[in-house]
Amino acid sequence: MANTWGYGAMTNSLGDIQNAKAIIIFGANPAVNHPVGFQHILKAKERNNAQLIVVDPVFTKTAAKADHHVQLRSGTDIPFMYGMLNLIFENGWHNEKFISDRVYGMDLVMKEAKKWTPEKVEDVTGVPAAQLIQITRAYAKSTPGTLLWAMGLTQHTIGSSNTRIAPILQLALGNMGEAGGGTNILRGHDNVQGATDMCCLSHTLPGYYGLSDGSWKYFAKSWGVDYSWLKGQFKSKDWMNKKGFTLARWWAGVLDGKNGNDKIHNGGTNLKTLFVMGNGITSIAQQAKVKEGLDNLDLLVLCDPFVNEAAILTDKKDDVFILPAATQFETSGSVTATNRSAQWRSKVIEPMYESKTDHDIMFEMAKRLGFYDQYTQAMKMKLNKKDFTFPEDATDEIARIIKTIGLTGWTAERLKKHSENWHMFDEISGRGYGKMKGEYYGLPWPVWTETHGGSPLLYNINRSVKDGGMGFRARFGTEHEGVNILSGKGSAPKDSSNKDGYPQITAANIEEVLDIKLSDDEKKRIGKNWKVDTSNIIAEKCMEKGIAPYGNAKARANVWTFPDKIPMHREPLHSPRQDLVKEYPTYKDKGNHYRVDTQYASKQDEQDWSKDFPINLVTGRLVNMNGAGMENRASKYLAALSPEMFCDINPNLAGRLGIRDGAMVWVHSPEGTKIKVKAKYSYSVSEDRIFMPFHFAGHFQGEDLSHKYPKGTKPYAVGESANTVTNYGYDIITQIPETKGGLCRVELA
Amino acid sequence: MSELSRLKFYCDESRCIECDGCSVACAEAHELPSGINRRKVITINEGKIGMEYSLSIACMHCTDAPCEQVCPVDCFYIREDGIVLHDKDKCIGCAYCLYACPFGAPQFPRDGAFGSKGAMDKCTMCAGGPLETNSNKERHLYGQNRIAEGKVPVCAAMCSTKALLVGDAQDVSEIYRDRVLARGHGVQTNPYGWNVAYGDK
Repeated sequence: MANTWGYGAMTNSLGDIQNAKAIIIFGANPAVNHPVGFQHILKAKERNNAQLIVVDPVFTKTAAKADHHVQLRSGTDIPFMYGMLNLIFENGWHNEKFISDRVYGMDLVMKEAKKWTPEKVEDVTGVPAAQLIQITRAYAKSTPGTLLWAMGLTQHTIGSSNTRIAPILQLALGNMGEAGGGTNILRGHDNVQGATDMCCLSHTLPGYYGLSDGSWKYFAKSWGVDYSWLKGQFKSKDWMNKKGFTLARWWAGVLDGKNGNDKIHNGGTNLKTLFVMGNGITSIAQQAKVKEGLDNLDLLVLCDPFVNEAAILTDKKDDVFILPAATQFETSGSVTATNRSAQWRSKVIEPMYESKTDHDIMFEMAKRLGFYDQYTQAMKMKLNKKDFTFPEDATDEIARIIKTIGLTGWTAERLKKHSENWHMFDEISGRGYGKMKGEYYGLPWPVWTETHGGSPLLYNINRSVKDGGMGFRARFGTEHEGVNILSGKGSAPKDSSNKDGYPQITAANIEEVLDIKLSDDEKKRIGKNWKVDTSNIIAEKCMEKGIAPYGNAKARANVWTFPDKIPMHREPLHSPRQDLVKEYPTYKDKGNHYRVDTQYASKQDEQDWSKDFPINLVTGRLVNMNGAGMENRASKYLAALSPEMFCDINPNLAGRLGIRDGAMVWVHSPEGTKIKVKAKYSYSVSEDRIFMPFHFAGHFQGEDLSHKYPKGTKPYAVGESANTVTNYGYDIITQIPETKGGLCRVELA
Repeated sequence: MSELSRLKFYCDESRCIECDGCSVACAEAHELPSGINRRKVITINEGKIGMEYSLSIACMHCTDAPCEQVCPVDCFYIREDGIVLHDKDKCIGCAYCLYACPFGAPQFPRDGAFGSKGAMDKCTMCAGGPLETNSNKERHLYGQNRIAEGKVPVCAAMCSTKALLVGDAQDVSEIYRDRVLARGHGVQTNPYGWNVAYGDK
């Protein structure tokens, strides 16, 4: 997404879905995972007669409300979308002007799409050709159409290609940058967008600044610490620029290539400590490996309001610490919603008993590790204060530093004002009225200046930049292979002084692009480019001229830096269709992928996995739980709705295997692991696949670990983790685990 | 609300997604013992394309309530606003009301005849019982009395898609009529000819 048009975030909003005439959902189940947000989809159906199309291997609760359900084989979204594109181009349903003005590289897509005839798509995806044609017509002819996705699309070895083909489909139809269109990626938990924006990630500094020397120096300056001090914190300087381990594979860093595990590149040492803050690591793929990683740590620290079940899973006896963290009701501060808007939360009660807020735990850690002053310095800098107030000064620090996604306008004062006046905004457009006039609810970023009202619809050139308009971000240079990739003539945001494409604004080009003259004082204060201009002169001048500071370029269908320039279908590592593996093989193995050697071809070619493991394993969520389910299973009433771990199995498949409804079964994985769960007859899955929720923990490969819970902390419901049998497999770019396209075998227990 | 209002529930099956927000909110608000389900979400034909429907069901607060008709100790009473309540101090837990109820609303405790919620328990539309309003004993036996506080019953307040509606029957029906009109359901778009009514033969 970010590689297609600049930002990897939901482009519109949940409320805006009410403007859609058609809704297509790939690998998301909002009726279960976003029940409140789902009402906007239902309202679009009611009021616009919008067609709801759900593409999912499982007949979900969302599918139950759909006009069309497409039960495709897991991991074949790319062939399906190429099949749609083929029909769209063939019938002239694409938006030619939009493509020529605002998209680079669509010619390559057109060529590839030609290969995906409806018959071919039927063979690979299992979706009848007639249904593909019916759906494509319905979606392409009803504009604007919005496209939604979630983890069903991303959690694949080709996840980073999936998340490019979906934008390409929207670009082809010209469904971008308008109300009722867009790519609406649903974030799975509260504040996931905020955590991503702050880059709780191993490959970039906050605000997606990357890990280059320039970025480190910018942050050193903005944090008020010496660059040399920061450098001194690392083993050597070059480690500052290297990506770290990911959440999906931290355990490989502990296991250090021993006992046949993947080799690591970590400066000659393995990971020794794991510090977990509010992450249900019992819900990540390959739990047997997670357990092995936990067992081999020197130190394990878990901070959570409930017992993090990593403590139950591990056999480690010493040096395991459980720190009681406070809940969100016991602290305050801003969180970021799925549509890039912020909300300020107030504290309801003081932290209970001996629990501490997350930030207090971090501050205490910093004190004991000896860098508390450096850690908190930036919060005092805006007003040159002696002390700071948390979280207001932290929010203002973020606003002061993060220019890349336009957080300049997110001051604590403004965010509080929005939350206090949330009734003064329109439900669908987010527009404020009364004293909130001129602003959008929660100031969806980018909010270029302290008076900017936010940008509810990304890449919308029908609004002025001041009113949230913008073209695609000029993030990838101005030309590629001699072709200009800036936006076409006349396709600049409304009221722009420059009607055509333009590069991102820098100190060097601002006078030329904006046709202005800077004063000597401005020249002295201005930052090198819009991303590091803490004087905010660039943004202010841009607003006057209706220019988006990040430029105005074409979206790119061709991401020339990726292994597949345009998205290409590749079979999962564990494919039920061995005949297709030869035609659509996976990638070559990738060395040092976030510090771990990662297998692709060697795993796929190891054997014909489908012989011993003929059934596709799909995991997902239940409405009464989220994540690892530790707090939900500890609630009496929520636990009562799903008191036991289960797997949905089609009665025809179960019947063939001699499994009765409610019988216990073993689910075996190609990794050699197994779990014991209850079979639940359901027609929501076809005969070649099973579905399991991933919220359970407390049992491991048939063994009940309940005795390990500290007294009084055992949840009402415990059970096997589905992730004990999810397969090996990680995305080629992001390393997200393949939890949806794996295989398994089911046997009566 | 007018003096002539009758309070009714309505669950819009095109909006109910079986999120169970209503039933959990109800259980939590009234601190129901496990096994007592004042409100339940029922799903039929799960996983079958075009046939799966979910509906939230509780006491429907019937105007001519069969439970009240059959009760041998006459413990039921119907408020002026139509809410059907019963007196737990009179109730003997015979379950004759369960025979009469078309919706399976009456619930019986599993921990003996004198469980924490009395002999029989059912949805009160969050209106408590015959005891002193908002007294400890009322809260203990019947749960919250939100109606007395001017609040919406907790199930409908919590409903994530606003499938579950509650209020004066006329208001509820107006909201639902708006939805139906917007959808175009119930509006004949094709001539209602022989084949629509009787099939092709």
